[in-house]
Amino acid sequence: MLDFFTIFSKGGLVLWCFQGVRGPAAACTAPVNALIRSVLLQERGGNNSFNHEALTLKYKLDNQFELVFVVGFQKILTLTYVDKLIDDVHKEFRDKYRNEFQQKGTLGLLNGTFDFKEDFLHLLREAEESSKIRAPTAMKTFEQSVKSQKTVKSMIETRGEKPKEKAKNKKNKGSKKEASGTEAATVPSKAASATKQNPPVATGDREELTKEEILQKNREEFFRKRLKGGEKSNKSPKPETQKEKGKKPRVWELGNSNAKVLDYSSSTTNGNTDTCPTEEYDPYVALGDRDREPGRLYDLEYESDEEEPEEEKVIQNPSQPRAKKGGLGGMFGMLKGLVGSKSLTREDMDSVLEKMKDHLIAKNVAADIAVQLCESVAKKLEGKVMGTFTTVTSTVKQALQESLVQILQPQRRVDMLRDIMDAQRHRRPYVVTFCGVNGVGKSTNLAKISFWLIENGFSVLIAACDTFRAGAVEQLRTHTHRLNALHPPESHGGRTMVQLYEKGYGKDAAGIAMEAILYARNQGFDVVLVDTAGRMQDNAPLMTALAKLIAVNTPDLVLFVGEALVGNEAVDQLVKFNKALADHSMAQTPRLIDGIVLTKFDTIDDKVGAAISMTYITSKPIVFVGTGQTYCDLRSLNAKAVVTALMKA
Amino acid sequence: MAPEGYQRSGLQPYLDSLRQVPNATLLSVLLALLAVALTLLVWKLIQGRKSSQRTVLLVGLCDSGKTLLFVRLLTGTYRNTQTSITDSSAVYRVSNDKGSSVTLVDLPGHESLRLQFLERFKATARAIVFVVDSVAFQREVKDVAEFLYQVLTDCTVLKNTLPLLIACNKQDITMAKSAKLIQQQLEKELNTLRVTRSAAPSTLDGSTSSGTAQLGKKGKEFDFSQLPMKVELVECSARGSKAEEGSADIEDLEKWLARIA
Repeated sequence: MLDFFTIFSKGGLVLWCFQGVRGPAAACTAPVNALIRSVLLQERGGNNSFNHEALTLKYKLDNQFELVFVVGFQKILTLTYVDKLIDDVHKEFRDKYRNEFQQKGTLGLLNGTFDFKEDFLHLLREAEESSKIRAPTAMKTFEQSVKSQKTVKSMIETRGEKPKEKAKNKKNKGSKKEASGTEAATVPSKAASATKQNPPVATGDREELTKEEILQKNREEFFRKRLKGGEKSNKSPKPETQKEKGKKPRVWELGNSNAKVLDYSSSTTNGNTDTCPTEEYDPYVALGDRDREPGRLYDLEYESDEEEPEEEKVIQNPSQPRAKKGGLGGMFGMLKGLVGSKSLTREDMDSVLEKMKDHLIAKNVAADIAVQLCESVAKKLEGKVMGTFTTVTSTVKQALQESLVQILQPQRRVDMLRDIMDAQRHRRPYVVTFCGVNGVGKSTNLAKISFWLIENGFSVLIAACDTFRAGAVEQLRTHTHRLNALHPPESHGGRTMVQLYEKGYGKDAAGIAMEAILYARNQGFDVVLVDTAGRMQDNAPLMTALAKLIAVNTPDLVLFVGEALVGNEAVDQLVKFNKALADHSMAQTPRLIDGIVLTKFDTIDDKVGAAISMTYITSKPIVFVGTGQTYCDLRSLNAKAVVTALMKA
Repeated sequence: MAPEGYQRSGLQPYLDSLRQVPNATLLSVLLALLAVALTLLVWKLIQGRKSSQRTVLLVGLCDSGKTLLFVRLLTGTYRNTQTSITDSSAVYRVSNDKGSSVTLVDLPGHESLRLQFLERFKATARAIVFVVDSVAFQREVKDVAEFLYQVLTDCTVLKNTLPLLIACNKQDITMAKSAKLIQQQLEKELNTLRVTRSAAPSTLDGSTSSGTAQLGKKGKEFDFSQLPMKVELVECSARGSKAEEGSADIEDLEKWLARIA
């Protein structure tokens, strides 16, 4: 049933491989490589299964001996024994070849022969059998069922007897309900008393009174229901007798009376001015604050501070007993860590990881991503042997730092100038599109990037495809004038380095972009920078319009502009933008976001978590960082500096 | 006056007792300490000389054949490999008259890991072997050149002028490019990269991305001979013509390693 099972070292050597259903050996390397690249290297190791084409891959890491166990089977099958199988194989393999791993290191791996087939087949058979042990429950035969034991007589319904049965049932139900009601009443009282130990006694009395009231109310309701049951049984013979006499016109109780009878308002209140008793209206109470100045608008006051101490109290109580227990154990653990080699367990890492997660969230990393990152680091470190004089905290911090640097390293080449030179050689303009939500700095950073390109000797055409926002075209025109003043045509051999292509407001953005690209090709511009309107990720028609612009014009680079101030929103924005681009594209491989421009970086001092959130979600590099509003405020990302700022306490 | 007198009287008995201790024991204690300190110093020097700069790094892009080359050099056999996530190192006996040994270190080639591991191991490096996939070279030339540029402009590499060998791997496949062609293409690509990388926007903390290194001579077309370190190219095939049965075609590589060690 399994397609394959491989065991390989983290350094890349395949130690043992089992071909199940599949034929050639090479077929297991491609999915495993995909697993490594997309899961392990991108720090998405929290979830231990991965889907690649038609296969599902499940994996387990052994961090002590640096091994990886991967099993692959068809996605449509749901095999329940796989997790257990991996664990068993892991234990067997590790115990059997412990010597090779510990003593000889890499050479041991290279020279050792890992003849594991029989053990593996044995374990596989055990696992398969254990999943089959529970035989499906056989259906009961008719003779065994309850229905066959009922007599035909008991099932005949007669008019007179039926209500008696009903009443009986109701009585039973009522008694059951009472029993369950009292149970239910006692359970909430117990729970309430358990959680409310701390607040003062006065409030406790008040609450108990209300509980008693509730109990009383419930009891009244039950009695009422039982009486109703009895009433119904009395009522049912009545309509039968009435029907026998013949049809009589139905008389509604209030039917023929006129509106006067139906008017319940007292005759004194309507239309009289002094019906509202003056004692009830207290102007001080109605107007609120006595010291209020007339006409002044006051600020919002918030009362969040009152709620916090209670939460802290509740949280502290359960944590105190834990801390006491941990004290002694912690001392011994520290000594053990100092003296010998201690392997990391989940419990050791949990508290440190919690702190690190909170630290990351405080640094503006999106909450889900901080959780996933910590999970992935935990998986990478579980079972690892710590060296002497290293604490759990330092190991976890080190591992987290490495994985953060790993995430920020670009997965593809980030060199725009090189690609522009390529496009120059092919005599076509290099098209860059800027997209993002409202107010993130698209037009400002577009101007900065065009300044940088002009400095490097490339001529730029700016396409004003923001046909919605008031002043968008004028803004770009002002930038064009300024840039031309800074780099006049005389100093570049007579060619204007920047030009604006605009068609005013209200037109179709995709059409303008297409015309701009054609114009650039005819006039020999090197780069076309397309500025689009800001749009919210939830706005479906606008997202469709953007996707259409990108699908029709196939730009060389699609840059998502995001501000560094954004927190959890970044995840939502990027996911929805990518989804929209993928959904509305006709091509086989849709054009997604190729790079990120992180703007307003000067406004955050060291809360640089947005960089992590954005690169983690898209796995695309941060191409530029905007650090101000002048033309020189354009930087590239330095992964180490960002991670240092992030890990700083 | 009085306190001084007291002090002197307090110290006097101690000084007298010290003087009374026989000189022999004092001398021997001092000598022992000196000996220990000397041995520690000598030991540290020897250790330092031994461990520093005895490693040869195998770097390159993903799927260029570094791990298989590593296996072939060490054992001569063929093993299946996967993408490496971490480094592997082992001691390799060079086949020359001296019989010296170097530590071979195989670094992962994946984009997110390569620079991190290079940082970690470059301090102890003695030489670098840059493995290139000769078959996919035409497609990957820009990525190969970028990584090579990063290796060549690294400050530690420049400071220690580590010799560099570009091993054009996968020569057993018919479509593989020759070393000469690869050299020409790389030189052309690095020529352009010099300009574009130095023009890239500076990083957040003010430093430029490639340090202050200028590759080769300004004004002239880039050539590997313009570099301060020795750069050579060899052709090799880690898989060999018969894959699992036969041996690898790595004699040139072994000869170079013998020269370096």
